[in-house]
Amino acid sequence: MLLRRSVSVILLMMTGVSELMRGQAPAKPSFTVGWSVYAGWTPYHYLAQSGIMRKWADKYGITIKVQRFDYAPSLDAFVAKNIDACTMTNMEALDMPAASGVPTSAVIIGDYSNGNDALLVRNGLQMKDLPGKKLLLVQKTVSEYLLDRALTLNGLRDQIKQVRLVNTSDSDIVTAFLSDSNSAAAVTWKPLVSQILKQKGVTSLFNSSQIPGEILDLTVVRTEVLNRPDGSGQKFAKALAGAWYELMTRMSGTGAETDKVLRAIGSGSEDTLESYKDQLSTTNMFYTPASALAFGASAELKQKMALVRQFCFDHGLLGANTKALDDVAIAYPDGTVQGKADRVRLRYDISYMKMAAEGKL
Amino acid sequence: MTGAGFQLIYAKPGRGVTWALSWLLFAAGVIGYLAISTARHRDNPEERVTPTVWQMVDGMSHAIMSPAEDSEPLPDGATWSQRLTHSMLWTDTKATGLRFIYSMALLLPAVMLGLHMGVFPYVGAFFLRFVLFFDKIVALSLLPILFIAFGIDELSKVMLIVIGVAPTVILDTFNLARGVPNEQVVKAFTLGAGDFDVTYRVVLKQIWPRVLNSIRLNLKAVMLFLFAGEMIASTDGLAYRIALLRRHMGMDVIIPYVLWVALLLFLVDFGMRVLNQKLHPWFEA
Repeated sequence: MLLRRSVSVILLMMTGVSELMRGQAPAKPSFTVGWSVYAGWTPYHYLAQSGIMRKWADKYGITIKVQRFDYAPSLDAFVAKNIDACTMTNMEALDMPAASGVPTSAVIIGDYSNGNDALLVRNGLQMKDLPGKKLLLVQKTVSEYLLDRALTLNGLRDQIKQVRLVNTSDSDIVTAFLSDSNSAAAVTWKPLVSQILKQKGVTSLFNSSQIPGEILDLTVVRTEVLNRPDGSGQKFAKALAGAWYELMTRMSGTGAETDKVLRAIGSGSEDTLESYKDQLSTTNMFYTPASALAFGASAELKQKMALVRQFCFDHGLLGANTKALDDVAIAYPDGTVQGKADRVRLRYDISYMKMAAEGKL
Repeated sequence: MTGAGFQLIYAKPGRGVTWALSWLLFAAGVIGYLAISTARHRDNPEERVTPTVWQMVDGMSHAIMSPAEDSEPLPDGATWSQRLTHSMLWTDTKATGLRFIYSMALLLPAVMLGLHMGVFPYVGAFFLRFVLFFDKIVALSLLPILFIAFGIDELSKVMLIVIGVAPTVILDTFNLARGVPNEQVVKAFTLGAGDFDVTYRVVLKQIWPRVLNSIRLNLKAVMLFLFAGEMIASTDGLAYRIALLRRHMGMDVIIPYVLWVALLLFLVDFGMRVLNQKLHPWFEA
């Protein structure tokens, strides 16, 4: 009796709090987009700061909050449905929200890593020397994917398990690698790669420009938000695409005006203009909606995603409950589905990029 | 005194009520979790943030009975004991446990240092200010230096714990040693004791149970540093596994793992209390 009463008191308090929060919400539909530091995502910092995002949100009669996260927490927040849109790679879009039963739509294909991610080695080691050596990386991320692809492309696939992987946090991987001469190799991303490469005797053995289009950087929205009956979710995606491509135009120019914009974007990750430009040089940005659209509609995208999907499944990243590869399916703009048609969890939705390309936003 | 109020201070619950009250928050926690988990699973059958009890049982039995995905697969027809000793849970627990034991062992010199600092004024004068300063250093922010000095293998993890916890233990022991009444020291000297008789047989002997207690209260700090170390750079261990599982929301194993760590810590704590009581029956904690 006492127990039941105390439970109901707790529940009452919880509903009370949520009522309060709901009561405070403004009449305008409000959305949150989360981003984390990465060359292809830091533009969100500028979108928020410069007022471009507010301008587009106002145009569609909604409110958009832009919130900065660390990468892993941003994924957690998206999966927990605390935020409506988030920046993430194609791999994480598949193995975090999609594999957790949160249907996800990629509405902006921002760029692909074109050298940002790299496999670095000491003392001129070759690919064939790696088995048996100690290698630092953040396991179960695109870093491990890159390593997997590097060894596969060099015909060493069956020896992958002999590389001694040390799971190392990205915040410490630079000092850990530089100060421990027993670590023969490391896989990480820029700007960490640039910091490590400054050390004498360290060279880059493989980088993501050798697997172009496989590590994609997306802006994803929960499909359920896009499908809201009042259409506010679609307005949200339109505003995101509108703001994004307005900034892309400004970023892709040349001269002092562009440098000013790039410097302001770089300040979002405490990067200097030079460092940010260096990162952009190895990021294949889709500056125009037409180029992103073309990639999103291509057959190439399906081939690349098939590789990523297989990797995620082989490494158990799709979760213990996913018994078959086809249980987490991906839908493409032309209507084809990779996997079971009734289990589509990730969707490439190019309609917003298309509207941007046609100037209909 | 006018008898205002109920004097609840004197209202003692009976045995049964005490028992029931002490489990109430556990029950509330479990019921709250189940309610949230059920609701979330109704909303999304593939939900992974709040796994059901069955999913956790499933995940854990897998962890107990089969090796981790990244280690050697078991030979066919492995016996039960082979399965257990090669299982993910066992290998992880063994790795973390070894680090834990090493760091506890390295706390013994810390006790000795604190003792000598408390008994010998010259030793105290030499070390005290530095240890006081060192105690306030946030060890985690020194990681880059630790990596350079101790590499990124076992030693740096153990040293992280030692550097994080040892100053507290040193200062605790120092204060306890200083707290021994001077009359006892004088008395021991008049009875013909030497410096080291006084140090080990008079001072250490009577502060030892309190020192053990102080180490026991620092167990949580030891574990926190150990987890931090394993999450930063590691190839095995309980926190390593949790860090990996977090990448793909493997909460069905993470939650049981956290409970397992809590149980282990509780057992160590309990063991130390019992040991203390057995060794020092005259001491009341």
